[in-house]
Amino acid sequence: MPERGRQYLILADEDLISLVETADAEAFATLYDRHSRAAFSLAYRMMGERQASEDLAQDAFLKVWRSASSYRAERGSVRTWILSIVHNRGIDQIRSQASRRRRQEEMEASAPRSQPSEAFAETWRNSQREQVREALGTLPPEQLKILELAYFSGYTHMEISNLLDLPLGTVKGRMRLGLKKIRDYFESRDAAVPR
Amino acid sequence: MSEMNNERFEDLKDAYVLGALPEEERLSFDDYLTAHPERQAEIDELGAVAGLLAFYPQEQEPSPELRSRVMEVVEAEAEPRRVSGRSTFGRVGDFLSIRNLALGAAALLVIGLLSWNVMLQGQVEDLRGQVEDAQGQVQDLQAQVEEAQEQQNPTIELEGSWADQGANAQVLSINKNQAILVAKDMPFVPEDQTCEIWVISNDVPKPSGLFQPDPNTTATPITNPITKADVIAVTVEPAGGSEQPTSAPVLLAKL
Repeated sequence: MPERGRQYLILADEDLISLVETADAEAFATLYDRHSRAAFSLAYRMMGERQASEDLAQDAFLKVWRSASSYRAERGSVRTWILSIVHNRGIDQIRSQASRRRRQEEMEASAPRSQPSEAFAETWRNSQREQVREALGTLPPEQLKILELAYFSGYTHMEISNLLDLPLGTVKGRMRLGLKKIRDYFESRDAAVPR
Repeated sequence: MSEMNNERFEDLKDAYVLGALPEEERLSFDDYLTAHPERQAEIDELGAVAGLLAFYPQEQEPSPELRSRVMEVVEAEAEPRRVSGRSTFGRVGDFLSIRNLALGAAALLVIGLLSWNVMLQGQVEDLRGQVEDAQGQVQDLQAQVEEAQEQQNPTIELEGSWADQGANAQVLSINKNQAILVAKDMPFVPEDQTCEIWVISNDVPKPSGLFQPDPNTTATPITNPITKADVIAVTVEPAGGSEQPTSAPVLLAKL
């Protein structure tokens, strides 16, 4: 790897995004390599199909490239910002489709295992992922279901209400309680919610 | 649709951060936020909780072709953006003729050679200074460890496979911005490998010190501040260290 390329590897995400603002493609490539896996995983969970997920991830990363100047550090980490772009664009795409995809469970069951790489980063990401899974594991299934339908499948609160035949107030209440329980999980361990 | 007010804001904020508002309601919520920027921090905080759901899915590896496709577009767009955003230096070049450019290049070459000479001399001086600094640091280090131990400064115990084998490693906080890794009973590491300390914030590991473990106690300054770190870890790396970890951590402490 060229010397300059190696230098990017030690830069923090916030520094890289500043370079991306100046049209630095190599800085962007470093950000891509750091976050493409998480972004693609989220895209895959939302779209349920590989090609659509790649299209969504590509769309989101090009938005990162073209709109780096809109990143605001005070509102969260670069990673959170990238994932929120994937999420927002994913919801837009899901809602613009005439028929919704209902294949998440099938895809979960048949999903290929992740490739071994970067043992270290893998260990750390897995530990963070485990913590999030543990936090979500504390939710009653009816709350988790509603969060999943909203966050991954792009349903509005009213659609969820119709789908599950629940009063709208119940859907909103479960959303509120679910999010509160996740926050309580971290607070009870004296840990900040990862941002 | 009801008009957005504080009560409605409270009622809808959870659906908003989950992306579960219909378009019209979302726009109305956005307008309310714009008019009430003091509520933004609350939404950011709630959004961070909702954003954790992004880590819930099973990990999937994107194809290498996706990277190629994205980078192809990025590189194609990078050049025009760089040109349109040219520096003053670049714009000045537009006013110069080819001949002037050639003369300028020759002059720059002479200036460059002179500067290089000055820079080399400066580097030699810097290196001398660095050697002296390093000698001073080694002497200071022992004193700092002893002082921190006497003052019972905060320590963080590292866990992991080496700790399971009997190694004992602690991060000792000297002051707000300085910490030392004290390790003893560490396993043998061959000469062509070294232990590297990593300070990790937001998933980004920063190389933060090298040491060659021995069965006795070793103390190594951690070269990056740990106040905002999420994790401190130690990996075994090729001699000279790596810029990114290449193996799983043998010692690890979550902060």
